[in-house]
Amino acid sequence: MASLLQVENISKTYTDKNYWFNHRSKTVLQPLTFELNAYQTLAIVGEIGSGKSTLAKLLVGAESPSTGCIKLNGQTLDNGNFKQRCQHIRMIFQDSGTTLNPNLTIQQLLTEPLELNTQLTVDQQTVLIQHTLQQVGLLAEHMNFYPHMFSGGQKQRISLARAIILQPQVIILDEALASLDPSLRAQMINLLLDLQQQMGLAYVLISHNLGIVRHLSDDMLVLENGRVVEYGKTSQILTKPTHYYTQKLIINQHLQLFKK
Amino acid sequence: MNLLDIRNLSIELKTTDGNIRAVDRVSLTMKEGEVRGLVGESGSGKSLLAQAIIGVLDERWIVHADRFHWRNQDLMLLTPEQRKNIITKDVAMIFQEPSSCLDPIKTVGKQLEEAVADQQLSGFFWQRKQQRKTEVVQLLHKVGIKNHEQCYHSYPYQLTEAFCQRVMIAIALAKKPILLIADEPTAAMESKNQGQIFRLLASLNQLKHMSILLISHDLENVTHWTQTITVMYSGQFVEAGTTEQIFAHPFHPYTQALLDSSPNANILISAKAKLTALSGSIPLLKHLPIGCRLGPRCPRAQKECVIAPKTQNFHGHQVNCHYSLKDEH
Amino acid sequence: MQEESVLARDKIYTEEQFPSPLMQLWWHFRHTNVAMIGFWCYLFLLSLAILAPLLTEIGQNSSNLDVLLLPPAWDSAGDVSYLLGTDDLGRSMLSRLINGTSLTFGLSIIVVIISMAIGVMIGSLSALTKGIKSSILNHFLDVILSIPSLLLAIIIVAVLGPNLKNTLWAIVIVLIPQFIRVTRNAIKEEFRKDYVLASRLDGASPLRILRYSVFPNIFERIINQATLAQSAAILDIAALGFLGLGAQFPLPEWGTMLSNGVDLFYIAPWTVYLPGLAIFFAVISTNLVGEGLRHALKQRKES
Repeated sequence: MASLLQVENISKTYTDKNYWFNHRSKTVLQPLTFELNAYQTLAIVGEIGSGKSTLAKLLVGAESPSTGCIKLNGQTLDNGNFKQRCQHIRMIFQDSGTTLNPNLTIQQLLTEPLELNTQLTVDQQTVLIQHTLQQVGLLAEHMNFYPHMFSGGQKQRISLARAIILQPQVIILDEALASLDPSLRAQMINLLLDLQQQMGLAYVLISHNLGIVRHLSDDMLVLENGRVVEYGKTSQILTKPTHYYTQKLIINQHLQLFKK
Repeated sequence: MNLLDIRNLSIELKTTDGNIRAVDRVSLTMKEGEVRGLVGESGSGKSLLAQAIIGVLDERWIVHADRFHWRNQDLMLLTPEQRKNIITKDVAMIFQEPSSCLDPIKTVGKQLEEAVADQQLSGFFWQRKQQRKTEVVQLLHKVGIKNHEQCYHSYPYQLTEAFCQRVMIAIALAKKPILLIADEPTAAMESKNQGQIFRLLASLNQLKHMSILLISHDLENVTHWTQTITVMYSGQFVEAGTTEQIFAHPFHPYTQALLDSSPNANILISAKAKLTALSGSIPLLKHLPIGCRLGPRCPRAQKECVIAPKTQNFHGHQVNCHYSLKDEH
Repeated sequence: MQEESVLARDKIYTEEQFPSPLMQLWWHFRHTNVAMIGFWCYLFLLSLAILAPLLTEIGQNSSNLDVLLLPPAWDSAGDVSYLLGTDDLGRSMLSRLINGTSLTFGLSIIVVIISMAIGVMIGSLSALTKGIKSSILNHFLDVILSIPSLLLAIIIVAVLGPNLKNTLWAIVIVLIPQFIRVTRNAIKEEFRKDYVLASRLDGASPLRILRYSVFPNIFERIINQATLAQSAAILDIAALGFLGLGAQFPLPEWGTMLSNGVDLFYIAPWTVYLPGLAIFFAVISTNLVGEGLRHALKQRKES
């Protein structure tokens, strides 16, 4: 069975354009390859500067890779062609405060991706928006509210609604759960699991919290300074880590909870 | 001897629609040399409580308590200024996002020098400058910064978050406090650096016998480093006890829900299974429920929960609930 | 039954208004008393400026040689029909001041609107470009911003020739760099936010991003700069008129009236202090409106 998302030899090198004669280049991400299927979650783990946010930006199309290509359902995705990509790969950001435009109502916010990518009439758009809001656990009346009237957990749900409204196949969660309180985080995890079963989504979870990674993901990729250090099934890596970096991460997070 | 003994502390906010009780009758005790965790989500009032202890709340907030003793001295009889004088001599506080707490236009060395009080230096006034510098270098060594020369002359923006937090701890240690209140010190950091900061706090607790009140919104990373834990929800006291008691046998439904919601705590749960989570969200200050504030969300709530529950004590394990889970353990 | 259920539902949802951030700002502004006083004064001046030709039946230039230098009505030698007295050519001060409103105050508004339009356009274009072009523009702007506005206006008017139209263009040119700077910085800051990235990923063109995602959020900052620019414009127009480089005689611009009255200060002080008070009143009301706006912005952020 061909996989949903295939990433082959993706790398990213930044050249410093300010120096005209002496081009300084920095390789943020070394070539890496992975695969992802529907109903599965891949976790990308690493510290600051390991290149995981760069990888997220490459996958969603905000930056173009220096080498390699990304294939969705066997079809190569072009760089810079957002319309082709945005229906299939969507992203949820970390900071819920700056992720929603404070001057737009939720209805206007959710209408924008529909207007740019589908041919629905206004009535059909309204019905779809109401349905999506109910799917993420909000009320249809919340359509007319402004973002400042919501709490942090609800704002993340609205981001999730914005992501699933185009019925994508892959959703990238860029540290989306990190800033939430524990009880809201549990609700969000349950919601994500439900949606994965209902819609057949594949998740790319970028996180540094190994507890959530262990619970949510099937496969795991560990990055250190742009290099892939380990890649494989989560249960295997977390019980028998082969690389010292992974071992250090596990020890630092005390996966056995407290000293007995 | 109890260092800090607070009974039924309430903090009210003056608004145009009347007073809102942000913190409702919370009790807290701290012994010498104890590391206590104060756990609560956002909106639980834990930062407000810490600020009320230190005394930095402005006139919008009214603080009153049945008992507020510091080293057996009753502080409620004093004026707020006198209270502040006594407390700031022995209590220090560190905050989250340390790089924004340091003055960006002064070097780290200058800020540390400001923190060293004049009374600690002996000697004539022309010797003071050198003594101050020696004191600063000693403080930097105490928090584990070995190349003090480079750190002394750097500005806060040149240092990482973890480094800045060590500098903040050094500033807090300058007055040789007996109690250190750490308000989410590692919220903005990676796990490796979090471990370093917690280890530093643990070593300070063991070597200097300094008590630490560790405030956090995450139960999991606090259980490893603390001996006792107090849990708060939406301004109310929920549960308190030793870490083992809280982790192994939580009495309050909220603590049980906190433990259920963290995948780390449920090692036996299978991957990708749904976690038991409380429905609803944290109430806003404008719409606080009457009685027990967990009422609307609690799975065991019944008619009696509109009256605020009284604290029950079982061998040092205190809980504030009408229908606690004690009988199930 | 239908009616009852509708009424019952109205009782449950107390959240009937959905205040947009702009409505919130207006609410905070309305509850600051000082700002509202300034706002009413501003509206009063604006209506005077628009309705001036209708209000003054006596032509501004018609002089009644019988009543030269009549003091204002509250003085013992004054006359109620000339409420604020007359000047050295027998013209009524009151009607000249009202007509002067449309020159000094009205022109300042027009100047600000023109320079805001041009400045915001250039600022948006420069925010969208990167690299060498943008840094050249940046340095050029820094040089222009370092020259005091009045000095620059005098130079431009001296080159073009002293009359009111040239004053207008001079002050427009002088105020544009401030708008470019504010717009450019605000747009660059907005581009760093996640919702702009989300729009871009959805496939929105840069123009659409500017219109829907960026402009509603920087609008308040631009209006803030506009109030600051307007008080500077009023003072610059009056100053140029005073120096004889702006509105020429016999136009009733306040600065020109002030300079005419300086020679007569000891015998007819009202020809000096009345235009001066008018300038003062206009600048204070503009500044109060601007200050009220900044105060409301701060309160909205805190609440």
